[in-house]
Amino acid sequence: MSETYDFLFKFLVIGSAGAGKSCILHQFIENKFKQDSNHTIGVEFGSKVVNVGGKSVKLQIWDTAGQERFRSVTRSYYRGAAGALLVYDITSRETYNALTNWLTDARTLASPNIVIILVGNKKDLEAEREVTFLEASRFAQENDLMFLETSALTGENIEETFLKCARSILTKIESGELDPERMGSGIQYGDTSLRRLQKEQLQQKKPDCGC
Amino acid sequence: MAVMDIKRKFQNFLRKQESVQSPVEDDINHDLFTGEPAITKYKHSHMVNPHEEQEVLENIEEVYYNDEDVDTSSFELQKVPEDPDLDQIDRDRQKLRKQLQVVSKKVSDVVLQNHPAYAAELQRVMELQKTLQLASIICANGRRQLSGARKSFTTASLKMLANYRKRQQLIGLLKSLRTIKTLQRTDLRLREMMEEEDYCSAIQLCLECQKAASTFKHFTCISELSSKLQDTLEMIEEQLDVALSKTCSHFDIVHYEKVQIAYRLLDKTQTAMDQLHMHFTSAIHSTAFQIVLGYVELCAGTGNSNFQKRPYVDLCKNITQESFKPCLVDLCKALWEVMKSYHKTIQWHESHDEEFIRESGVDVDITLKMKYIRQKLDHGLTRIWHDVQQKVKIYILGTDMANFKLEDFIRVLDLVNRLIEIGEEFCGSKSEGLQDSLKQQSLNYFKNHHRYRMEELGMFLENEGWEICPVKSNFTLLQLLEFRFMQSWTRSPATNSLVHSQQEVEGEESLPNGHNREGGRYFDQYKDEGSPFDVQPDEEENEDVFSGSWDDEDGEGRDTDSDEPDELKQDYIDELTGEAQSNRQYRRRTSRNKNQRHIPIVTNTTLNVLRVIGKYMQMMTVLKPIAFDVINSMSQLFEYYLYTVHIFFGADTWVMNERSLNNRMHMTLQRIRNNLIAEAPIPGAPPTDQENGRDKFPQPHLSPIVDLSGSGRLFGLAERVVAAESLVFLASQMELLYPHLEAMIPGNKKVFLQQFFSQTVKMAAELRKPVYWTVSVQAVDYDNILYHMSGVKWDVKDIMSQHNSYVDVMLKSLEQLSVRLVDINRRVPIPKVVYDLVWEHCVRLANRTIVEGYAGAKKCSNEGRALMQLDFQQFLSKLETIVDLRPIPERDYVEAYIKAYYLPESQMESWILEHKEYSNKQLLSLINTVDHINKKARQRLIAIVEEMDRHRR
Repeated sequence: MSETYDFLFKFLVIGSAGAGKSCILHQFIENKFKQDSNHTIGVEFGSKVVNVGGKSVKLQIWDTAGQERFRSVTRSYYRGAAGALLVYDITSRETYNALTNWLTDARTLASPNIVIILVGNKKDLEAEREVTFLEASRFAQENDLMFLETSALTGENIEETFLKCARSILTKIESGELDPERMGSGIQYGDTSLRRLQKEQLQQKKPDCGC
Repeated sequence: MAVMDIKRKFQNFLRKQESVQSPVEDDINHDLFTGEPAITKYKHSHMVNPHEEQEVLENIEEVYYNDEDVDTSSFELQKVPEDPDLDQIDRDRQKLRKQLQVVSKKVSDVVLQNHPAYAAELQRVMELQKTLQLASIICANGRRQLSGARKSFTTASLKMLANYRKRQQLIGLLKSLRTIKTLQRTDLRLREMMEEEDYCSAIQLCLECQKAASTFKHFTCISELSSKLQDTLEMIEEQLDVALSKTCSHFDIVHYEKVQIAYRLLDKTQTAMDQLHMHFTSAIHSTAFQIVLGYVELCAGTGNSNFQKRPYVDLCKNITQESFKPCLVDLCKALWEVMKSYHKTIQWHESHDEEFIRESGVDVDITLKMKYIRQKLDHGLTRIWHDVQQKVKIYILGTDMANFKLEDFIRVLDLVNRLIEIGEEFCGSKSEGLQDSLKQQSLNYFKNHHRYRMEELGMFLENEGWEICPVKSNFTLLQLLEFRFMQSWTRSPATNSLVHSQQEVEGEESLPNGHNREGGRYFDQYKDEGSPFDVQPDEEENEDVFSGSWDDEDGEGRDTDSDEPDELKQDYIDELTGEAQSNRQYRRRTSRNKNQRHIPIVTNTTLNVLRVIGKYMQMMTVLKPIAFDVINSMSQLFEYYLYTVHIFFGADTWVMNERSLNNRMHMTLQRIRNNLIAEAPIPGAPPTDQENGRDKFPQPHLSPIVDLSGSGRLFGLAERVVAAESLVFLASQMELLYPHLEAMIPGNKKVFLQQFFSQTVKMAAELRKPVYWTVSVQAVDYDNILYHMSGVKWDVKDIMSQHNSYVDVMLKSLEQLSVRLVDINRRVPIPKVVYDLVWEHCVRLANRTIVEGYAGAKKCSNEGRALMQLDFQQFLSKLETIVDLRPIPERDYVEAYIKAYYLPESQMESWILEHKEYSNKQLLSLINTVDHINKKARQRLIAIVEEMDRHRR
């Protein structure tokens, strides 16, 4: 209510169970490591206003459950996401191997212009590493993803991850590659009057989706 | 006579000359009388005859010898007769002359005669004179010597005496001066003593000095000294005052005892007490000010250094959000120290004053003083707490905590609550001020928090795909992390009632004399060191605030939470995929459905609402004063969810117009819309005023991914099921909470809670009808059936053995529905109640369609009526294989309509009057098709129907 911001980006955090998605979100929002973390049920939500390139951007982040059984539930949140954090655990090859599936999901379910950043979490567990930085960066390059290794425990690169993603989106908006006015872009103007305008467009569109 | 006298004199004189032979007579004779001129003068004149001379002498008148002052001249003149005889006179004159000559001669003779004697005598006189002069000189010398002796002799001794005396005096003076010097030196000593904080001896010494000084007051220097002593004494008092003020921030028994004894010496215990209170007051003020100032300056950086002069209230407004909590902790700690000091002061007086009274005997004065002190201290408690409270209150209200993180806010509440408890222990105060500020801040915070939660909920709803979120089969809200704190309530071994244990928990905290039972726990526990504000839960473990004891005992419970859903998933997938291909009988499925009905259907949003409710419950336990507002907000969450489900899935007009829909349901929805839902902004209109829209939230829009069209998916039945059932589940969870909620709010607010549950929560199940009926209405093309029926001829002459085709069309539609239900059941387990609702409404609509179709018959024979019965019978028998609803709803509705045809005229009338469920058209059609009544009777019946119709309107 009292918050003012220039843009609102809808973000998504996806990846296999146990990769540390909720911990990343928690670290980002609370600046603390979440000790007693359970498996996420369904989706959880967090938001934070960050400053990116002089613009204040409200990030609306949907933290999805990684467990297979929640796939159907979490899919509905992909829609209209402007950015996504694709998270794997560097100490678990399994989570890395699943990336392709997650990526396919994201590319098909979310908007085609979605900006995805690959996140190798648990950087602090260097001794148990199963996925090398090089390998992952190659994967990122091949799939046109940004890439960072993070540690939700120490907080390393956590904020940077979100900022990097947001910055990339902002650049795309400025270059005209992304159009915030377009439906389902996952981007809204922070200005209240503009938001209202969008709501109206949404309402006008409603009869089309036929109910 | 005079002559005689002279004679005698002369004689005497001569005689003397003869008799006195002075040794010096010779000298005189020689020196003085050698010339003799005087006598020679007379000698040469007359040669004297001694006789004659004798005679003449004898003739000298007596009067000339008179040596009295006789005027001889006048005597002689008087003798002259009246007629003077010159001769006579001349004779007289001769005679006198002669006489004179004689006398003169005589005298001269005598003189000459006596001269040697005279000279001798003179010689002697001279000698005498010489001697005398000598004596005089001797005398003078003696005198001179004597006086010299006297002089040198007496003054010395006297001086000695005087000096001795002086010495004695000086010795005395020296003593005094030494004392004075000592006195002056004492000043130094006094200073030392003060530095050593030995006020007692200092005062004693000072008083003694003053006393001593007063004995020396005749010295001028003393006045200065004594004024100095007075100054010193005053300084000691000042020092003592300073020492007393130290008590406020840190009570040290030794120190305080010293100070008290010192005041006792000064006989100023009462003043000391007044002073002490003043010090406490100012200590509270300055402590609070300094701490807040410190933080403000720390945060403000160097830019604005003008804070020093700002009032406390302003300072408090400059505290940043980040520094709010640490500053509050410091403030509480510091104020705690002050309160602890006061507490200890009281304790000291309690234990020492008695002693003192005993020591000093039964002195009324002292007893009175002690009483005064005691009273003062007792009054002070409330005053000091008031001050402390005021400071903290101002501090708390100075910052808008609305944007704090919940954990932080709860920490703040926790701190203040602890302070309130301390206040309770301190003076039994209810701390209205703090409670007020807490309530105010809590309300403000909570309102803000709630606004975000509602917005978030709106977002969840708009993103909701209305998919089942798999949870374990025995899922209840208690398994959510947010409700963990309640598990200890339910687990309490003494009771199985949540309420009871809840009340216990509550009671323990709210008992006003709670601290008595525990015996002043704060002031005892932290009497030596530390403060109640030190023992903080780890910053990392914020959840501890709520967790109670679950962390220890509940380790397993937590594991199962994450494991069990996996089992469930197994179950779930097994069922869905395993049965996917099999074309089992519907009935078997429904029976399975009965078994699996307990699988909770929840959505992400439901879980979110539950989580938020859980957080609210937690907040309520800490924010007791605003428990009601929290519950009110909680109800908004539920209402918003309910309203949204209604808007998304049940608001289709053809359903809402359905007369069998619960009227209370309508009212509930209407109420929610009015109270909670913000008007959609009119394009171009100025923005609605903020105040009004603050408690209202925009109506959410269904996520575009949800498709409610398409008969194949039964018009989004799966989503409808998830939506409506999740709402019902939510309601059931709310019911679980009811006793807790009831226990948390004041009695006078319970009506609200009851109303909320009866009017809203219980309405959740009612909302199923419009949600599912929409499916029922669209699932079968009833108009098509009617169209089919309109082609049927009812005035047949033969009894038919074959039912009409419309029955098959209808049954086919229903069968298709059944298949689709099975299909959907694979995605979403459809509860029995949903089946029943869908089918019931379908069947009801089918029956109504049939009646409507029959009413469409222009003419009807008995055989035609039998055909109707046959058709319906066929329909029923087939229907029963599709639907396991028993009895078939509104079966009588159809049958009674068919059979009314056979009624005789007499009964027809009463039947019409009794069966108002049929429409005018249907009744008129019945009357018109009946061929066994005459025209007149028909007219009458039509009139009745029309009359009824008028009434109906």
